[in-house]
Amino acid sequence: MELPKRVVHHIEALLTGAKYLVAKPRMTVMYPEEAQILPEGYRGMPKFNREKCRSCSLCARICPANAIKMYTVEVEGEKKKKYPGINYNRCIFCGFCVDICPAGALEFTDIHDYASYSLEDLVFKPDRFAEGPPPRPFKPKLVKPMLDEEVGLKYVPG
Amino acid sequence: MQVSEIISWLINLLFYKPEVFCPIFYPGLVTILALLIFIIWLERKIAAKVQLRYGPLYVTRKAGGILQLLADLLRYMFQEPIIPKTVDKIAFIAGPVLLFATAYVPAALLPATAEFTGLRSELSLLAVLALLTLAPIFDIIIGWGSNNKFSLIGSMREGYIVMSYEIPMFLSTLAIAMVYGSLNIVEIVEMQSRCWGILLNPIAAATFLLVALISTARFPFEIAEAETEIVMGPYTEYSGILYGLLMGASYVKFYVLSMLFALLFLGGWHPSITWLEKIHPAAPGLVVFIKALIIMVFGIFLRAVYPRFRVDQAIRVGWHLLFMLSMLSIAYSLAVIWLVG
Repeated sequence: MELPKRVVHHIEALLTGAKYLVAKPRMTVMYPEEAQILPEGYRGMPKFNREKCRSCSLCARICPANAIKMYTVEVEGEKKKKYPGINYNRCIFCGFCVDICPAGALEFTDIHDYASYSLEDLVFKPDRFAEGPPPRPFKPKLVKPMLDEEVGLKYVPG
Repeated sequence: MQVSEIISWLINLLFYKPEVFCPIFYPGLVTILALLIFIIWLERKIAAKVQLRYGPLYVTRKAGGILQLLADLLRYMFQEPIIPKTVDKIAFIAGPVLLFATAYVPAALLPATAEFTGLRSELSLLAVLALLTLAPIFDIIIGWGSNNKFSLIGSMREGYIVMSYEIPMFLSTLAIAMVYGSLNIVEIVEMQSRCWGILLNPIAAATFLLVALISTARFPFEIAEAETEIVMGPYTEYSGILYGLLMGASYVKFYVLSMLFALLFLGGWHPSITWLEKIHPAAPGLVVFIKALIIMVFGIFLRAVYPRFRVDQAIRVGWHLLFMLSMLSIAYSLAVIWLVG
């Protein structure tokens, strides 16, 4: 008879649910109060170094999302130069710009989150691009993911 | 002098006349609204805990996000209810209101205690059952009026499912009424002071509980809405407070059915706590509410456990299992009457 078997299966399913209802672990990272420690070479928001830049505009040409534009900047005592600026409305964090830069003027930072009240605020002109991404308003508690035999994924303070 | 007389008359009318108190406060509208806010929060919280998440948290963080639903309700209130050009306007607007109203009306007829009841009738059980069957009609009307294929598919599913659960619902309820020989809810509860209905006819109790789950779209029978298949079923085109009403309606119906289950099978207000009567004549009825709440918590816990049945599987449950069980429960009742007398 199949029916008693089915009833047993239903009860087993309910008990499994009940087990997890009282089980301790949770997998949530309480971002932004907690944040994961990022691995080395993480593609965060790029930072621009004006001294190294040769104004070759390769970064603007390679950018697949057209996020980088070259802006003309007047520097006192020198002639006009073109420097890159980035628009984070468009940036897809592919890192092509950093890879292609022949002078190493662009580098990754480990910050990837920035919230803003206006779209204009997300356009970083060369001088702001050189300052790097704005720091977080508060310091998050850092956690790192660990593979646990019982739970699967676990986050421990690191 | 006259003002104080009017105030005392009003207080007497609102709080001590069962005909007014029952529909408005308990077990009626105020209880339902408070319960809606609590039970939907609890449902999300339980599902989150089983899935190793936290659930709603940021609204009143210290209390675990318990006011999340109040925030949602406010948002529904101030969101623009969009009415598409191609819908049948009258059906589209009146549908949700009537659906919520017809889900709520049976609650007004439920007794709070033996003396304190909104409806005194020999046929109060029949009246509640008859009113319970009204709500699905509006599900089908709004599905048709929305002029959207998902809405129509959803309401057709609802129609199929109504066909499969309504007969077992009536038969199982009448089976327990047969044992007690009465269709008056108050009389049925009074006769349960010695032996609860669930012990006298466990088959009818099991059938009624399953029917309550099917008819209020609890998992695994959440087939008419089926968010992953047909957007939101009959409610696809809705937004704002109209959607809020639709979402609340199934919980209201579940509340009514849980209350009915507690009254018919779990002994109602027995064991009665007599000292509560000094606070308010309806206060001993809280026992029924607590029993119904336990049933509801079980019902919403199922969301975390079950996947969704296909519509044909749910109909098979209705006709092959529930219909047979309800027939069996009638036979069981006859046997109990024959044996006990």
